[in-house]
Amino acid sequence: MSTSTLKKALVQTYMTLFTLPIIAMIVWYFLAATTNFTTHEFSLENFAFFKEPVEYAGVKLPMIWSIVLNTIVYSLLIVVIEVGISVPTAYAFSRLDFKGKRAAMKFLFLMRAFPGITLIIATFFILVKMDLVNTYLGVILVAITGSLPGRVYIMKGFFDEVPWDIEWAAMVDGTTRYGAFKKVLVPYVLSGIGAISVFAFLGAYGEWFLFKLLIFNDDMMTLAGYLSKLVTKENQIINYGLITAIGLFYTLPVIVFYIFTQKLFMKVNMGGAKQV
Amino acid sequence: MSQLEAAAMKPNAHVTAARAIPYKKPLRKILYPYLFIAPFSVLVLVFFILPAVATIGMSFTDLNASMKLHFIGLTNFKRIFMDYNLPQILTHTAVFAILSLVISMLFALVISIATQYFLKGKVSAVIYRVLWLIPSIIPSVVYVTFWKYVFDPTDGGFLNRVLAGMGVISEPLSWFTKGAMAIIILATIVSTISGGMILLSAAINSIPEDLYKAARVDGASEKSVIFKIILPTLRWPLMYITISDLIGFVSSYFFIMLLTQGGPMRDTTTLSLYAFQQAFNLKYYGYGAAISMLVVVISFVLTMLLIRLFDFDQLIKPSRIED
Repeated sequence: MSTSTLKKALVQTYMTLFTLPIIAMIVWYFLAATTNFTTHEFSLENFAFFKEPVEYAGVKLPMIWSIVLNTIVYSLLIVVIEVGISVPTAYAFSRLDFKGKRAAMKFLFLMRAFPGITLIIATFFILVKMDLVNTYLGVILVAITGSLPGRVYIMKGFFDEVPWDIEWAAMVDGTTRYGAFKKVLVPYVLSGIGAISVFAFLGAYGEWFLFKLLIFNDDMMTLAGYLSKLVTKENQIINYGLITAIGLFYTLPVIVFYIFTQKLFMKVNMGGAKQV
Repeated sequence: MSQLEAAAMKPNAHVTAARAIPYKKPLRKILYPYLFIAPFSVLVLVFFILPAVATIGMSFTDLNASMKLHFIGLTNFKRIFMDYNLPQILTHTAVFAILSLVISMLFALVISIATQYFLKGKVSAVIYRVLWLIPSIIPSVVYVTFWKYVFDPTDGGFLNRVLAGMGVISEPLSWFTKGAMAIIILATIVSTISGGMILLSAAINSIPEDLYKAARVDGASEKSVIFKIILPTLRWPLMYITISDLIGFVSSYFFIMLLTQGGPMRDTTTLSLYAFQQAFNLKYYGYGAAISMLVVVISFVLTMLLIRLFDFDQLIKPSRIED
């Protein structure tokens, strides 16, 4: 055996050891969800939440299907709004000249790094004053403002990569600036739009904090908010079976979605590294 | 004239026209870029700038559950520095942020060098990276249940069961009372590693293969390849990750809230979590805002550092179409 194969084998061993805990974690989720904790036998009784409302440690929660519907509607709304706002903004930052662009760009970068979470106390008050507490509109506005700078930044990277010649050609052929944006540039950056849609969706799907803070009605919860109720009820979880079963039901679609969009996801992150 | 000819003619016509009369932009065209950024600007104004100003304002009041604003000057800030919890909380914040950062960065570095240099192009390298991404994809509410299970203080918990099985312990240990901070750091780093890993992997991937070949021909050891070729190219991504993660760790408390809610006692309360607790658990909104200000100041210093480190002007390219 040559030294280089030996070295590779050594690296493989270390990496496998590093990765074992994560494999164990994945295996545990499946085992815990499908095992009866007292008899240690395979059972699907943890999945009874499909048919009846969950009652756990004194918390009675509504039927899961209405929560699922909320989650889907909320996540898709966030995707549509974030794409609808960040694409034109990124275009303006990348391609148009306007007064204050330099300052606005700096501010965008500042916002992207600035922890919006520290403003949550004042944001809460503004929402109270605007009568938006306990409404989806309030959650959506706060959530998108927090994530928009990042999306704009990614989109700007995609617009920057489009050769100017394409735009020139379109305008020479007689379209307006907006026409060039709509007919030429947007199709060109479709993969970027796909990427920010994925990010927006994953972000919205995982959002639990704003729901915990701003939504008081249990029947307005999304899946993440619903699970956070179960997880933070006590420091010590008694019924892991139930929680992992719901968790699995909640996570599997994301993982499947992720596997299909994975290439895009990696590509964007790589692009992000270059822009830095 | 065919369309093609017309297209060929047009640029020249445009140039001569532009030379003939000094071009003045019509108002419609000046306003045009602002239309594109208007929705974004409105949102930022209402939900970013306004809360920022309001936080400053609220920090000088004793706003509480009665919801009445009283200006009390610097009392809140005096109270912060008199707060007997403060030294402990600042220590927790520093320990949490620095340890999480250093350990996750180290692991990100090791994994990306291993998968992009030693195992470059192998299927196993892709598998390791995908597996490491999983903790960051799993929604946090689901992710924390695993750690709660591992360190469950009853005999049903994973660690307790393993140690009891090996005969090391006879009574189940309550891990959360002993090492809550360690558990939080562990859970945080496992989910943070992938972010740094992606950036570092991308940077290593951009090193041309010839460089390694040349180094090997010259008889360089693996150690010098890593230290002389790989690490220098990682300078910028490393700096970027350091500051952005640090800001994240200083200000965010989501995992802590899900895992321990700051307990036991105040053992895992960081500064930003303390601000949240003062405001939303104890309803001292004014005092909470004042503590938030402290977090903001810390984050702001770090952010400015970040801005200074990265050259902005090259990021901002002017438009190349005059219309």
